[in-house]
Parts: sequence; C-alpha cells; structure tokens
Amino acid sequence: MTPDQVAPEQTDDSSVRVRIRGRELSLAMTEEQVIRFKALVQHIWHQPFTKRVWSELAFFLLGSVLAGVGLAFVAMTMFAGLVLAITFFGLALLAFSLRIGRGVGGLERNLARNMLGEVVEDPQPFTNRPGFLGWLQSCLRDRVAWRAVGYLALKVPWSILGVFVAFSVWWDAFACLVHPLFGQGGGGPSVWGPVQKFFPGGDLHGFDSTSFIHEAAIFIFGGILFFAAPWVMRGFVNVDRLLIRSLLGPDPMATRVRSLEQARTHTVDASAATLRRIERDLHDGTQAQLVALAMRLGMAKEKLENDPEQVDLDRVRELVDAAHRGAKEAITELRDIARGIHPPALDIGLEGALATLAARSAVPTELTVDIAARPTPAIEAIAYFCVAELLANVAQHSHASRATVSCAQHGTWLRLVVRDDGTGGAQLSTVGSSSSGLAGLVDRVHAVDGHLYLVSPPGGPTVVTVDLPLAS
Amino acid sequence: MTTDCSLRVAIAEDSAILRDGLVQLLVDRGFTVTGAVGDPSALRSSVAQNPPDVAVIDIRMPPTFTDEGLRLALDLRARYEGLGILLFSQYIETRYAADLLADDAAGIGYLLKDRVADVSDFVEALERVAVGGTALDPEVVTQLMGATRRTDSLSVLTAREREVLALMAEGRSNAAIANALVVSEGAVEKHVANIFAKLDLPVSEKDHRRVLAVLRFLES
Repeated sequence: MTPDQVAPEQTDDSSVRVRIRGRELSLAMTEEQVIRFKALVQHIWHQPFTKRVWSELAFFLLGSVLAGVGLAFVAMTMFAGLVLAITFFGLALLAFSLRIGRGVGGLERNLARNMLGEVVEDPQPFTNRPGFLGWLQSCLRDRVAWRAVGYLALKVPWSILGVFVAFSVWWDAFACLVHPLFGQGGGGPSVWGPVQKFFPGGDLHGFDSTSFIHEAAIFIFGGILFFAAPWVMRGFVNVDRLLIRSLLGPDPMATRVRSLEQARTHTVDASAATLRRIERDLHDGTQAQLVALAMRLGMAKEKLENDPEQVDLDRVRELVDAAHRGAKEAITELRDIARGIHPPALDIGLEGALATLAARSAVPTELTVDIAARPTPAIEAIAYFCVAELLANVAQHSHASRATVSCAQHGTWLRLVVRDDGTGGAQLSTVGSSSSGLAGLVDRVHAVDGHLYLVSPPGGPTVVTVDLPLAS
Repeated sequence: MTTDCSLRVAIAEDSAILRDGLVQLLVDRGFTVTGAVGDPSALRSSVAQNPPDVAVIDIRMPPTFTDEGLRLALDLRARYEGLGILLFSQYIETRYAADLLADDAAGIGYLLKDRVADVSDFVEALERVAVGGTALDPEVVTQLMGATRRTDSLSVLTAREREVLALMAEGRSNAAIANALVVSEGAVEKHVANIFAKLDLPVSEKDHRRVLAVLRFLES
C-alpha cells in the first residue's frame, strides 16, 4: 500500500473542541497529535522545576565565573608576553599563558561533562619536546591551547549577555507574580531588563493597574515569563555547548591525521597479509607441485639411465604421465594465484570483470552495473575483490539459491550491493586475524575512506553494501 | 640401486602431493615406509607404534605453519636415541640448523625439498642420516660460510680446500668428497689434514664429529 492510500484516522472523540464567545471551534487533531500536545504542555509545565534547569543554571554561573577569571589571567599574561615578545621572557610568558588557557579549557570541559552531561572527548594531550626551547615551541604551537583561549574569548561576552538576559527574565517573572500581593499603589519589586520596554520607568504602577483585569494581566504575564525563563537560559547554554564541542574537543585536523594514520597502518597490515597469503598459496600449492614434478622426472631419468635391456618402460611412462599432470596443475594454480594478485579481467573494465565473477559464481548470480565513468584502478580492484570475496562467502556459508550483485554510481560514490536469499547470520568478526573474510574486506574498504554495511538477520537474507569514493 | 631393505622411514609432510611422491620414491628404492602422515601429532603416534630408523619431517606443518616440524624433531630426538631426523623444508633458516645441531650432529639432516629431484643424492643423504651421519644442505653451508666472522681464517685456505671444507660441512665422507670433486681419496685426505691444521681444529675420525667441529668453527 502506498502512503497516499492511508487515510488519517479521525474520530470525534479525539478532536479538541474550543469554545470562544459562544462559537465552537473544532480543531481536527488525531489521537497521536493530542497525546503529543498533552505531553508538550506537561513538559513546559514541569520544566522550571526539573533538575536539569538547575544544573544548567549552576553551570552557567560557575562556568562564566571560571571563564571570566581564566580569560582575565590569560589576557593579562598574553598581553604582557606580547609586549615583551622581543625578549625571551616575553615568549616564555606567552607560552605560560597558553598553558593556563589549555588548563582552564580542560576545567570548562569537565564542568560541562559533570553538570550538563555534555560529553566532549578529551583533546590530544600536550606533547612536550625536550629542553626549554622545545617546551616553548610546543606551547606556542599547541593548537588545543589556542582553541581553548578562543573559546574563553567568545564565552565571556556571551556569558555576560546571557546572565543579563536570563536573570532579567527570572527577576521580571518574580516581580510580576508578586505584584498583585502589594495591591494598588503598594511597593513591590520593580522590573528591569528587556521588560522595561513594556513598563516605562521600570515601575509596574506605570502600567496604571487600576483594575482587577490589569492585575490579572500582570500576573499572567509573570507566569508566562516564569515558564519561558528556562528556555531562554537553555538557549544560551546550548550555544555554549556548541562552542565547547567545536573548540574544546579534539583538534579536527589532528583527529583526521590520526584516522589517516590508522587507515595507513591497516593498509600496510592488509598488504602484508596479502603477501603472506600469496606466499602460503605458492608454498603449499605451486612449489610443492613443482617439487613433486621434479622428483618424478628425477626418478624417470634414473630408470632410463639403467641398462636399456632392463628399463621398465611402463613404470617410466607412469612417472612421466604423473609429472605431466603435475605440470598442468601447477600452471592452473599459478594462474589462480596471479589472478589473486591482479585480476587480468580488470584490464577490460570493472563491468566485464564483475560479469566474469558473476558467471563463475557457484550460486546463480544476477548482475546489474550502472557506472558512467571508469573508477580509478585502486577502487576498481577493491570493488572487484569485495565482490569476489562476498560471492565466495555466499557460496560457502549462506546456502543461498540465488544472489544479486549491483554496482551503481551515486554521485561521487560507487555503491556495491551483494544480496543473497540464504540463511543469514553473517558477522563482521573482529577477532582473529584481520585478513579473515569480511573483517579483511572492512580493512580494505576503510583504507580508501569507504564504508561497509552488513545486514544479515538469522534466517536471512544477507545484504552487504559497500560504498567506495570515486574521487579521493 | 640400493638393495638395503632394512631401512625404515616415517614421513611427516602436510602436502599430500609431496607426501605421496616421497612414499613412491622411497618404496621404489626399496625402503620400508612405516608411516606417512600430515601433522606432528600423527607422526608422534606413528613413531611410538612402529619405530623407524629415520624420520623425514617437513618444517612448516599444521596447526600454525611456522616451525612445528623443528620442535617435533627436537622432541623426537630427546625421546628416541639413535633415531635419524631429516628436516625437509622449502627454505633454509640458518637459525633452525643451529637449533638442530646445538649438541650433536649425529643422525641429523636438513635439506631443501628441491633436493629430491636428484634422487640418488637425496637417497644417499637419507641413508647417511639413518646410520648416524649428517646431511646438511649446501645452502646451509653457504649461509654459514657467508655469515661467519672467521673470514680471515678462511682466507688462508686454498680454493680447493674451501670446496672440501664445504662438502665436509654438508656431512660427506672422504670417499663422497673424492667422488664429488673427481679426485682420489688420498688427495681429499691430504686436503682435510691441511684444513684442520690451518684452522687449528681437533682431528676426528668420525664424520659427524668432523662436521660439528667445522660448524662450531664457522659459528664462533
């Protein structure tokens, strides 16, 4: 059924009726919408009394004070350092202020973690080079410290604004709510902050509250402010969260470098594993085959060297026959190993190579290929090996009767999907050697910043999706 | 052709093709094959049930395909006195040779698998090991001679003497050396005496003691 065939369920019971000046308005709401609406009202109603609001408030106050003190100290030492920068002492002072900046940044991060539950990963630890000059250089080039100082410089003005706005909202809510207690002409607190616009002079009596209706209006206004206050403050805190996430976390450049390093290690490991596999194949297969072949020929040769009258020709023929068979097997094995190193089918293009793979697969396989331009040789090779390995898995483990392979271009990505109707339950086992099956594929795919997704519920079907970037 | 039917051989080799080939070759040459198996534990039980004179052992075998064969060889040697061991490998690792020859060179062989292509040489080496001699692959000797720090001592030898030294290190008898170099046995004896005098080695009558002396010299 397509979505447009589904009519939204609508019953009279679930609609909300509102009576205004004698006329009944029926708001068409589905049951689900009603539930959501009730939940929203409840949420707003409870908000001012939740623990979250108070921890946010506490964080805002503590964090701001900390940032203010920290920035003042950093700014002072930094300014002095810059003034004295031509001297050695100035540079040392500058480095020192950056160390302080990093420390205050760390405190802010921990504060956010403990009070807001905002978990930001620790940045790269400070790496000190040997010697005083090394220390100086490390400090001045510490990107984490510079980012922390940047955070403090942004946070302090933001906090000042935030404290002013949030507190005036709370204060005004309080002033409005208590106003009726003082009655007409009575004292009571004055409003300040943005609300002053509505009450010129900051005195609620300027509103000319001569009647009950006006008192009620002021009270309701106070109530609205009271319930709005948490959201105003949360807005400020959320911007702060954003700053913390983007400036106090790990340096994105360093993170990228680390992930590239990891990918490189994987690539090196994967190629070492590939070489090992090729060596094993050669050792167990071709080399043994050739040794046996040489042995048979050696035996045959010795027999022929005997007295011509006594030569057991049948035995010699048998040996040569076995040697001949062995030679042919060795050739086949060598061809398979060479294909494992670089599939010659790839020379005619990915489509042709995949067609060969699909045709050779033990499980009947349907192939669709839709690519406009040829990917780079590296991507083609990885795509080929992925499909080869996945089809081998299908044949070995899935008990499937059919498989489909699709290879299509999606923007700058090449997407391979291998699907079978087998028993499922495949796993990306990360234990054991990384060259084993799917885990080995994941390493290969990650090495080029690609992704591999596996969906294989018990009972099947299994779908493996591989995304490879077309342009690096 | 050898008619010595009394030699009993056990084989541990995980490659079925090679194992079958070896069995064929040995039976053809009149040996008795007491067991042909594909992994270390199977050889252990085969040797226990039906003790051979010599065991031919592949170095790389299941389960880890590293040095199972070597460890099996050391184990069997410690357990069965007088059992000849012929290690059989596609590579020569000098360290393996050193492990194997740590205390004695009697009844030890270490050959490249390629050597079976020269059937007579291989059979001769196997027979030598079975009767307590030594058979080291020329490759092992080349590596040892190349790696030795005693190059200044070796340089006092003549070219012919160095050839004789290498063949001695392989474990060959004077007669076999004479045969290989196409000289008289007396000439070989003279060369050997010269070598021992020049390198200041203790003279020994037994071939495998001679091998050990030469190897100790090369390794030191």
